[in-house]
Amino acid sequence: MINALLAVAFLLQAPQRTIAIDERLAADAHLSVGDRVVLSAIPESSRGDTVVISAIVKRGTDPAEVARSEFRIRLHLDHLQSIAGYGDRVDRFAVATPSDAATEKALAEINSAAFGFEAHRSKDIAVGTSKTFQVVSRFHKAIGVITIVASAIFLLCIMLLKVEERRRDVAALRLIGISQRTVMRAVVIEAALLALVGSALGVGAGWVGSQFVNWYYRGVYRTPLAFSIVTPSIITLAVALSLVLGIAAGILASLRLVRTPPLVLFGR
Amino acid sequence: MPFALAWTSLRRHGTRTLLAMLGVAVAAAMLLDMVMMSTGMRESFRSLLLSRGFQLRLAPKGTLPFDTDATMSNTGGMVRVLRANPNFTAVSPVLGGTIHIPRGDRVITSSALGLDPRVQGDYEMLSGRDPLAANEMVANDELIRALGVRMGDTLRVAGGYDPQTREYSLTRRLVLTGRVRFLYGASHQRAAAMQLGTLQKMSGPDKADASSLFMIRVREGSSVDSATRWIRERIFTVNVISTESALNQVDERLRYFRQLAVILGSVSLFVGFLLVTTLVTVSVNERIGEIAVMRAIGVSRVHVVMQIVLEGVAISLVGAFAGLLLGLVTGRYLNSILSSFPGLPEAIDFFLFQPKAAWTALGLLALSGIAAGVYPAFRASSLPIATTLRQEAIA
Repeated sequence: MINALLAVAFLLQAPQRTIAIDERLAADAHLSVGDRVVLSAIPESSRGDTVVISAIVKRGTDPAEVARSEFRIRLHLDHLQSIAGYGDRVDRFAVATPSDAATEKALAEINSAAFGFEAHRSKDIAVGTSKTFQVVSRFHKAIGVITIVASAIFLLCIMLLKVEERRRDVAALRLIGISQRTVMRAVVIEAALLALVGSALGVGAGWVGSQFVNWYYRGVYRTPLAFSIVTPSIITLAVALSLVLGIAAGILASLRLVRTPPLVLFGR
Repeated sequence: MPFALAWTSLRRHGTRTLLAMLGVAVAAAMLLDMVMMSTGMRESFRSLLLSRGFQLRLAPKGTLPFDTDATMSNTGGMVRVLRANPNFTAVSPVLGGTIHIPRGDRVITSSALGLDPRVQGDYEMLSGRDPLAANEMVANDELIRALGVRMGDTLRVAGGYDPQTREYSLTRRLVLTGRVRFLYGASHQRAAAMQLGTLQKMSGPDKADASSLFMIRVREGSSVDSATRWIRERIFTVNVISTESALNQVDERLRYFRQLAVILGSVSLFVGFLLVTTLVTVSVNERIGEIAVMRAIGVSRVHVVMQIVLEGVAISLVGAFAGLLLGLVTGRYLNSILSSFPGLPEAIDFFLFQPKAAWTALGLLALSGIAAGVYPAFRASSLPIATTLRQEAIA
């Protein structure tokens, strides 16, 4: 009889609610799957729901969250509604669609028919929430422009020094009949080669730097977000820019050289 | 003599010297900006936090002020407890919320603060007066412009909006009594302030006695740490945030920019150093014969070293002075980009000019100029005189 009552009580007992926590919370609070914790919407409250941790999840790659050191837990919807006293309300619905066309159709239908709702494309929301990164990106571009100006001056200086170092060689070439055009072409080709090899080394250094940045900031912010990505378009831009700057510096430096009479170059 | 010789040498290759100074100027501008950024954010935030003399802030447990929508209940009781401490000269509870103001066929939505106007530390008055009555409000220029209203106008202001029925609720008629600037407001953010009780009523029954933040001014000479402990022993549901801990939190969030400042500052310094070293080394190589002659006629090694080091320092210092001016311009531009950071108070300056920053940048560049001249100077001073003269004669 007692056994039968216990069996009924066991069957009537509400199943233990489960939650999922993010890996940062698990690491900081030394929690693991199967642990029991008490959840409450009121800080320091002695009352709350005892729940079981059923999963530890990776953090999402949301740029808006990157600098926030918040912990995240996932509950069943009805459980959170009950704990937070939120009734039968939700903040948003996520709707999966099979294609872009279906997305547009759903968007139009919801916005025209559903009273009190507004539907947004996920990518539009992503743009809105990544404003922090847009600001950082604009800042990086501005820093990039300053760096390019500094590099251009540096390159011009080096080219000027290189051709001036060879004043006597060039004078000799001119005196044995090599044309101004050929001398200039040789200097420009040398400058272009220098810029090309330099940019190739720069791309390599940039790639290593990018790996380091991602490794470091992923550790600091404990997120899988990629902070730095080296794309083909970035490589193309960097190489093209250094080639243009190198050739321009070569032309300017060689013009100075070929316009000077050979005997003056010799120091006579 | 070393000054005259250094000057002559720099003038001999005018274009080269000018380009090197330009290069150093850009590097110096970047260095100044990075020094300003690494120290400016913290100082700017500190002066903002202390601008109205409030050293302590209380936020709901586990949050920072206005970081989430969480609020503290029993505001009246907390105010009574806090005001019982004779070392607290002002206790200012604040509630944050959203208001909707219908204007013709459109509705202007704005953030709103409910506060005690007699002890508030959130805005400074530009014109008009504080909202001393329950049916009064003040607003910033962005909101006044969006509403197209004047001082003294009465507005219908709603605290709630039901998206299901598209109806506004908890509506009050408020008179605009003042034009203000919110100290912690983000750029282009529309904002208004009214009495705490008014916003509590407009925010619904669950916010009837709620607040988002308390600001506390501690009596001069009293310990902020003791005040923090006193609060923690009496009120358990709040985070007690001192100016220092708030600065540490901000440091934590903006750590990326500090690190970037250190990296870019170091790279700028290195580029400037490399440029000056290259230039002075090439210049010395070109003048090996001259230097050997100088040494042969009795000019001392110290003089040769001084002349070459002076060349490096002159390029660095002239470039650095030009760079400091350039750095102020670029710093202002970069600041305008970063000040549009979402949620960051408009009054925060990432690039705050401090004389110390300028002196640091100048000092570092002068040091790098000296360092840049060391290798070529050593090379020039240790030339074998006879051999060099013979080689030059053959060449």
